[in-house]
Amino acid sequence: MSVHGREIVRALSPARILVVAPERWRAECELHAQEGWRFCGLFATSGAQQPRVSCVLARGGREHVLSTSVPTGILDTLVDLFEASAVDEREAHDVYGVRFHGHEPLRPLLEHPSDPAAWTVPVQGHDPYQVAVGPIHAGVIESGHFRFTVVGERILNLDLRLFYKHRGLQTAAEGRRLADGLAYAARACAACSVTNAVAYAQACESALALAPDRNLRRARTLLLELERLYNHLNDISAICAGVGFAPGSMAFAALKERAQRLNQRLTGHRFLFGAVAVASSELRIGHVDARAARHELRSIGDGTRSLWRELRFAASVQDRLGGVGCLTRDDALRLGVVGPSARASGIEKDTRSESPRLAYGEFAPVSVARASGDVAARFDVRGLELEQTLALLDDLLDGNLTTGAVKSLGGADCELGVSRVESPRGETLCAVQHHGGSVVRLHLRTGSYANWPAVACAARENLLPDFPLINKSFELCYACADR
Amino acid sequence: MNVQNVIAGVVQVAGGVLGGPAIMGLIQHLKARMQGRRGPSILQPYRELARLWGKSGVMPEPHTVVYAVAPAVSAGGTLMALALLPVAGRAPDWGLGHDALVLVGLLALGRFAVTLAAWDTGGAFSLMSAARELMFSVFVEGLLLLVLLLLALPLQSTDLISMSHAASLSWVWLRPAHWAAALAFCLVILAETGRQPVDNPDTHLELTMVHEGPLLEYAGRDLAYLQWAAAARHWIVLVLACQLVIPHPGPFAAQLAVLAGGLIALSVALALCETVQAKMRVLRVPQLLGLGCALCLLGLASWFGGGGG
Repeated sequence: MSVHGREIVRALSPARILVVAPERWRAECELHAQEGWRFCGLFATSGAQQPRVSCVLARGGREHVLSTSVPTGILDTLVDLFEASAVDEREAHDVYGVRFHGHEPLRPLLEHPSDPAAWTVPVQGHDPYQVAVGPIHAGVIESGHFRFTVVGERILNLDLRLFYKHRGLQTAAEGRRLADGLAYAARACAACSVTNAVAYAQACESALALAPDRNLRRARTLLLELERLYNHLNDISAICAGVGFAPGSMAFAALKERAQRLNQRLTGHRFLFGAVAVASSELRIGHVDARAARHELRSIGDGTRSLWRELRFAASVQDRLGGVGCLTRDDALRLGVVGPSARASGIEKDTRSESPRLAYGEFAPVSVARASGDVAARFDVRGLELEQTLALLDDLLDGNLTTGAVKSLGGADCELGVSRVESPRGETLCAVQHHGGSVVRLHLRTGSYANWPAVACAARENLLPDFPLINKSFELCYACADR
Repeated sequence: MNVQNVIAGVVQVAGGVLGGPAIMGLIQHLKARMQGRRGPSILQPYRELARLWGKSGVMPEPHTVVYAVAPAVSAGGTLMALALLPVAGRAPDWGLGHDALVLVGLLALGRFAVTLAAWDTGGAFSLMSAARELMFSVFVEGLLLLVLLLLALPLQSTDLISMSHAASLSWVWLRPAHWAAALAFCLVILAETGRQPVDNPDTHLELTMVHEGPLLEYAGRDLAYLQWAAAARHWIVLVLACQLVIPHPGPFAAQLAVLAGGLIALSVALALCETVQAKMRVLRVPQLLGLGCALCLLGLASWFGGGGG
């Protein structure tokens, strides 16, 4: 095997699983935190007799999974080491009954008690009052309940209550064959369907010690970037709608429609459903179709650039974006924010640059000139990323694409596979535990799931009527957070 | 009572009752076209009103008489305002006079009734929007009064009919005061009709609502009254602009033609303004209206500095 080959094998090697004793759990996590490992997700499993809790950490493209059994039902919390784990611990408590020592108060997440005091942050004083919005909204929006504590127009605190869309997808996938489990991950949400499916497929392949060939990598990268294209166009349109700038909103919605029609032509589905499979790819694009797609993408790119320029010079639009919904770099790091929102706050991280299973080559995350973490910065990041995506798509469609497959890495099977993929909203983690080719536990932690706490943080100290705009600048999914 | 007065009376009432929704429909239609959509027909507001008129009302519990009478007060006040308003420099005497200050009061009455209704039911959205509406109204009413004051200066009268004659005098256009009033009136139009950049009439974002908020709980015929009042407000403000600012000399028929042309031109201008402008941040709206007040004060200073009329 060549030196190059060995490097690839090392890069593709599965996540290291470290089984620790319950009493060593916190100490081991603390050690990782000190060594600069980043928290990527925490999940519980029911286990044979007692629940198990696993925590996924990443550093420089490598993943460690710390795993422990919880014989007493109580585990030390990680919330002071990684604040991002707060939501995960609440979910583990609500679904698997694991309690976390030191996580006080452990507010319910999936449970929806009727008493607001049970799930909201108390705010002291005489003047604050609460404005409750949703879960049923005036527009076509998914179900989410926002409870604002405000003084006048100023938002003091925002409590989110999501998880109205719990479909038990993860549990439903248990016991299915690995190849069939993909549908459960993919259907968690339409707008991130490809990301979730690719994350699932890669987690399976990682567990089975399989490596994708060049075609498979190209096909998946192509699908991921097509997904990003229409999502980013949609998000820019949504931001324009948020400031009441209908011409921008309509024009970008029209471009998004063109991107989705291209999806339909290339894969047979506007949302790219059914184009990803475990260990193979059936996606075929001939020379002629690839050339036509490239042509259409260039035209979409030209349209995007000219509209983008117009938005840049629309003073009334730009006036609304700056200084609103600021998420500082410290807050973003603390809350474990991922994706365009993190990059807008000056965290130059993009999972695409550490994805050896995909065809990103020497990918560098975008950096915005003014990473101020406000709506304007998140807007700019999307514009820059669109350029990147269009360039990537242009490269990927150079030549035809035939079916892809996997080859064995020669390693032993591993019972747990972990994969991280960059969705249009940020890093999505998928962990698949299997036994004899059947899913034992599927855990999906999407970019939206990771970023929801950041919305509440960014809304603080802003004006209530600016919240829809702040919310749209993150443009997170509700469904793929709940699944 | 001559024929011209009768025609003016018919235009006043029929135009006010039926013309308001048409203006809204026209603006909606033009906006959609400018944004690259096909858009609804100009008649859509009538269909909406007809639909609401045929539906039974639902009242939130608990509510008091304040909530129940608000639509009637709002619509009644608007109807009275229509009777005050001269068209083509004429208006029959409906027994209400034609004083500009009464008009300001009637416009405020509608707002007051709806705000009280929001308070009555205590809905978070209604109260939030009502609070914004009141905050804006502090500035809008002040601005409207200042503008009317400036326009009353040439003939030293707040009678709407004589103010309307004043607009046709050629010499008022040599005065900076009239220009200042004309510019400030543009802001009054935007604010009173609840259009962008002040408010977004199409929004479905609950948290950004201003005028729509207090109407959320209403249904059926009550909502029809309130929506009609909002549409008639368009008519009132635009007719006021045509009468008090735009010159309309000549015979009665010519004046009517100027009015019709002016209404269409202003509707196009509103649609255009709403297309090229995003909505303003809420707390910047008072600054914008304050700018109008400053303009008016400058106009006032120039008037008296120039030695008065």
